[in-house]
Amino acid sequence: MDGLGEATFRALHLLVTGDAELWNIIGVSFRVSVSAILISTPVAVILAFLLAYARFPARLPLISTLQSLQSIPTVVVGLLVYMLLSRRGLFGDLHLLFTQTAMVLGQIVIAFLFVVPMAHGVLAAADRRAWDTARTLGAPPWRAMLTVMTELRFGLLAVAIAAFARIVTEVGTSIMVGGNIEGFTRNIPTAIALETSKGEFAQGIALGLVLLVLALLLNVFLGMLQGKGEMR
Amino acid sequence: MNGADLTPPLLRFRNMRKTLPGGRLLLDIEELSVHAGRCLLLTGPNGVGKTTLLKIISGLEPPDHAVADYRGASRPWAAARDRYRRDVIYLHQQAYLFDRSVTENVTYGLRGLGLSRAQITERVERALELCGLSHLADRNARELSGGEKQRVALTRALVLSPRALLLDEPFAGLDEESRNRTGFLIQRLKSEQVGLVVTSHELLPMAGIADEHFELRAGRLVPPARRLPRAGAGHRARAAELHNRVAYFDAKVSDEAG
Repeated sequence: MDGLGEATFRALHLLVTGDAELWNIIGVSFRVSVSAILISTPVAVILAFLLAYARFPARLPLISTLQSLQSIPTVVVGLLVYMLLSRRGLFGDLHLLFTQTAMVLGQIVIAFLFVVPMAHGVLAAADRRAWDTARTLGAPPWRAMLTVMTELRFGLLAVAIAAFARIVTEVGTSIMVGGNIEGFTRNIPTAIALETSKGEFAQGIALGLVLLVLALLLNVFLGMLQGKGEMR
Repeated sequence: MNGADLTPPLLRFRNMRKTLPGGRLLLDIEELSVHAGRCLLLTGPNGVGKTTLLKIISGLEPPDHAVADYRGASRPWAAARDRYRRDVIYLHQQAYLFDRSVTENVTYGLRGLGLSRAQITERVERALELCGLSHLADRNARELSGGEKQRVALTRALVLSPRALLLDEPFAGLDEESRNRTGFLIQRLKSEQVGLVVTSHELLPMAGIADEHFELRAGRLVPPARRLPRAGAGHRARAAELHNRVAYFDAKVSDEAG
């Protein structure tokens, strides 16, 4: 097993020497996942707010459905997006399959289905007096909504961070709709999967380290936020 | 309700009905009026619907049916509400303060009224000063004591110059000194022609303050089983003291304003 020690050493070497291919993969991961989270979270949180605060007929069945969809396997999302984008699919004419845009779309769906029920939980458990107070002080509904969200900023940010961690590490959708094309749609998880299957551990370990460090940083950040939230 | 009123009420509700999700009839009120400069006291046991009634009046919660008269026009509740909302403020039994500074809390309702930044700052600073909150201006409102929170919530409402104020159990959990201060404040608001609706478990603090008193029983407003204590010698003395303090406060206000 001298391979592992050697591979780890070469992994660190790749990272510190700024290996172009490696850092390109890291760049793809971040570009795709940051775009997906920035697009999906605001919409998901607004829907979660409506589910928690508005009263409309299909509300409860909708909440149950979305709660069940939270644990949808990412390969199933990949399958659905693939079907929609493939040449004979509904959006086949856009020629988006095996592009970063396709990966962003897939991750938007995953993040959306993750954020809606989680944010709904945060919003539904919150103090209703925030809404009442904003409204009675004359705030129009949209402003009262923003006020309630601002009151819950720590909890909602924690949800967004957890969603980011989920999509930046997921492999199923990325590999299916991105295609793991070198220098273009190869991101950290798909690269690890490929390199490992080829017996090339160094790059896989290096990328794994990047994900671990990222997870650590996000957790430290989250911990700091929660600490700040608890003081109040 | 009270035939002796010469001026028309600020706000009048007729045929207000509210049922709970289970179908139980919570409120069935023929008529309820809020008059400028007068205080209406609502009593009744827990769960009888006092808070819901205040929320309907304030426009926060919809009734099943109600007609509201406001500024000479009679409209269904939903249509009237959009017109009177800004004039009526509801205050929770326990104040909810936004997780921001005291200044930002007091500023909240002044935004979106078309005031300039300088006007808002000036109004907020003056209000904080009048209510003795200037030294807390930059503190986060969540870090304050219960009494201070209540004062910030009141200041936040009063800075908007509401025509009516709905107070839900304003005396609950207060010590003697704070009760007196709250009673004194209600008197002052009355003298400034603000219309008040107050719910309270306790009658004593409202003696000499409430102009009308109804009990909410089985969804209806009825004459109370227990009357407000008559303003006896003790109460007359207290009323006189309150009166003096109002005069003192007014003098102070005009001093500071001038």
